[in-house]
Amino acid sequence: MSKAFGIINFAGNHIQVDGLQAYRPVGAFSFLGRYRTIDFPISNMSNSGIDNIEVYVRRKPRSLTEHLGTGRHYNINSKRGQLNIMYTELNQVGDIYSTDVAAYIENMDCIERIHLPYVVIAPSYMIYTADYSTFLEEHIASGADISMMYHSVDNAKEAFLSCSVLNINKQKGVLSIEPNHGNAKSRNISMDTYVMKTELFIDLVTKAHKLSSMYTFSDILNEECENLDIRAVAHRGYFAAICDFNSYYHANMDLIDLKHASDLFDPEWPIYTRTNDSCPTQYFEGSKVKSSVVSNGCLIEGTVENSIIGRGCVIKDGAVIKNCVISADVVIGRGVHAENLVVDKHARLIRGKRIIAAPEKPGYIKRGDSL
Amino acid sequence: MKQNNMLAMILAGGRGSRLHELTKKVAKPAVSYGGKYRIIDFPLSNCANSGVDVVGVLTQYESILLNSYVAAGRRWGLDAKDSGVYVLPPREKSDANLDVYRGTADAISQNIDFIDTYSPEYLLILSGDHIYKMNYAKMLSYHKECKADATIAVIEVPMKEASRFGIMNTDNTGRIVEFEEKPEHPKSNLASMGIYIFNWKLLRRMLIADMKNPDSNHDFGKDIIPTLLNDGKNLYAYKYKGYWKDVGTIDSLWEANMDLLDKNNELDLNDKTWKIYTEDVTALPQYIGAEAVIDRAFITQGCVIDGEVKNSVLFTGAKVAKGAKIVDSVLMPGTEVAEGAVVTRALVADGIKIGKNAVVGSADSQNIELVAKRVKGDE
Repeated sequence: MSKAFGIINFAGNHIQVDGLQAYRPVGAFSFLGRYRTIDFPISNMSNSGIDNIEVYVRRKPRSLTEHLGTGRHYNINSKRGQLNIMYTELNQVGDIYSTDVAAYIENMDCIERIHLPYVVIAPSYMIYTADYSTFLEEHIASGADISMMYHSVDNAKEAFLSCSVLNINKQKGVLSIEPNHGNAKSRNISMDTYVMKTELFIDLVTKAHKLSSMYTFSDILNEECENLDIRAVAHRGYFAAICDFNSYYHANMDLIDLKHASDLFDPEWPIYTRTNDSCPTQYFEGSKVKSSVVSNGCLIEGTVENSIIGRGCVIKDGAVIKNCVISADVVIGRGVHAENLVVDKHARLIRGKRIIAAPEKPGYIKRGDSL
Repeated sequence: MKQNNMLAMILAGGRGSRLHELTKKVAKPAVSYGGKYRIIDFPLSNCANSGVDVVGVLTQYESILLNSYVAAGRRWGLDAKDSGVYVLPPREKSDANLDVYRGTADAISQNIDFIDTYSPEYLLILSGDHIYKMNYAKMLSYHKECKADATIAVIEVPMKEASRFGIMNTDNTGRIVEFEEKPEHPKSNLASMGIYIFNWKLLRRMLIADMKNPDSNHDFGKDIIPTLLNDGKNLYAYKYKGYWKDVGTIDSLWEANMDLLDKNNELDLNDKTWKIYTEDVTALPQYIGAEAVIDRAFITQGCVIDGEVKNSVLFTGAKVAKGAKIVDSVLMPGTEVAEGAVVTRALVADGIKIGKNAVVGSADSQNIELVAKRVKGDE
C-alpha cells in the first residue's frame, strides 16, 4: 500500500473544450472509443499502489459517478481502498472563484481525515502513463519539498496553448510557472502532476486561499518557487493535454497508429475502464474498415477509414466515415458521408448526406442530435 | 431467491472429450465461444437476467479454471446480499466418503444439504454446456400454470435428427406421456434441452430413494424422469423457440461460432435487454491496420488486424499480421498468425502461434481442422 493518497483535479477555467464540455467534465470525455480520459490518471494511481483516491468534480457529476462506481474495476481494493467523488457545490465552471484551491478548502475536513503522509495530485485532462510509486520514492530520496512532472515539447507555439510551462534551472529546480504564451517552440509543459507531504499541501492550500480567493494551486506554487525546493521531473512516453477541441480531436487521431499507441499502452501497465458488457463487433459483407480503432458492440456495413468508433455504433450500408472520432451509440445512416468530425454520444446522422468539415477545423455533432 | 423461490443448479462436470485438446485442461463449460465468452456465461447470464440469483455450479472434471471463473459471481451481477454463485465439487462429508458424482442426479443428491440451506420451493436444473438465451422466469410461470410436478424444456428438432436426442411424447395439453432416450423410431420431434424445473420437496424424496437404488445410473434422463412418469406424476413440456446449440464437437463449436456471422442471427448477442455477461478483460479496442481487409467477421477487443479476415470469428487478443489470410476460421483468445500465413476452415486453440507463410486447413476438408499446437513457419 502506498504512503500517498491521490487527488485527481478537475480541468481548471483555462481549459475549454467547445461542444463536449457542455455535457460533462473533461474527465468523463470518451477517449479512443472505449475509455474515458479519467481512466488514465486513476489507472496510473491504482497501478502505483495508491488506493485512496479523491476525484474532484465541479459540475455535471452524473456521467463521472456512473463511470467510476465503487472503483472496483480500477483494481482498487473495495474494503481498504476508496474512490471518492468530491463534488464542490459552491463552484461552477467559468466562475472566477471556482478554483481547485476553493474545492480543496470546501472539502478540507475530508482531506484532513486521511492519515497518509503524502499526496499525489494529477489532472483529469491529460493523457499519459506514469509510475507514481517511483515518482514518490525519488521525491522522498531527493529531500525536495515538492516534485512536479513536466514534458518537453517542441511544438509549444501551436499546441499546449492553455497549459502552463516550467522554467527550470540546471539542477532541475523550478524557477517559475507561467502560462504558455506560444512564443517559443521548445517548452517544458507542466503536467499539473505533483507529489508532496500532505501537511505541506494543506498549508499551501490554506495560504493560497488567504492570499487571494482566485488563486489556483499552480499560482501558489509559482509564488513559492523561491521559498520552497520544487523539483521538476521529466516525463517520457506518450503525452497529450486535452485543453481545447482540436487537441481532443488530435489526441484521439494520434493513437490510431499502433506505434504511437504502444508508447501509451503497456501490457504491464493496464488502463482499466468500466465494462459495458457489449458483445464483439460484427462486420458485415461489404464493410471496408482500414486504419481505425473500433470498440465492441458495433454493427458495421459501411466504409470506415482513419477513424475511432465508440461502443455500440451502427454504420449502415454505403456510409463512409473518414477522419472521425465517433462516441458511443452513434448511428450513421445509409449512404451518409462524414469526414473530419467529432460525433458525440447517441447522435444519429441519417438524412444529411454529406457532412464534411475542413481537415484543419474538424466539426462537432452534438450529443443526441439527429441530422 | 426472494423473488421466485427457485434455486438453480448447473451441471458443469462434463469433460466434453470430443472437443479433444480444447478440453484437455479445462471442462467443457469453460471453453471459449463467440469472441469473448465462455459457454457457461450463457446459463449464468440467463439466470441473472431471469431473476434467479442463487446458483450452484456442480464441477468435477478439470475444474481449477472453471471453479475460479464462476466463483466471481460479480461478473453476472450475482453478488448482491442474498445472491451468489456457489462452486460445488464432490466433497467428503461426516456421514459419507468422498465420492465422485456418479451421474447428473447424484450430483444433486450429494448437495441436498446445500439446497436445504435455502429451502427453495422449486429447483431449476441446467446444463453448463449449451448456448442459448432463455427466460427461466417464464418457464417457472408455465410450470405453476400447469400445476406440474416437473417441467422439461423442449425444442423442436428436424424429425430425421430426432433419434439423436431424448424425445418427449406429449398429449395435446403438453403433458408428457412418454420419454424415449435416443429412439430408433421417434414419435415426436420434441427434444429435451436438459433444462428441468422440479418441485423441490418431491425431487428431494426421489433423490434420496435413488441414492439407495443399486440398479440406478443416478441420471435424470435415465432414472428420475422415467420413475416420475411411472408414478403418474404431472410432467409438462415447455416449448422453447430460438437458438439452442449443444457444442459437443469441434465441428459444432466452429459452426456455432459461424452462426454469429449471419446478419439477423437468432442468438443476437447485441440484444441490450438480454446481455450475456462475461469476464471483464483489460484490453485495447480493436486495431485495424492500413492494409487490413475485413469481410464478414465477428471481432472483439484486443485484436490487432493487419491482414485479411473473411468469414471468421476472432477472440480476445487475436493478432493477424500483414499479408496473413484467415478464411472460414475461428481464432481463440491470444492466437497469433504471422505474416503470409493462410488459415482456412480451422479452429485455432487458445494462445497458439502460426508461423510465417504457414498453411493451415483447407477449403475442401470434410472436418474443421483443430490447431492445438504451434505451427512453425519459414525462418
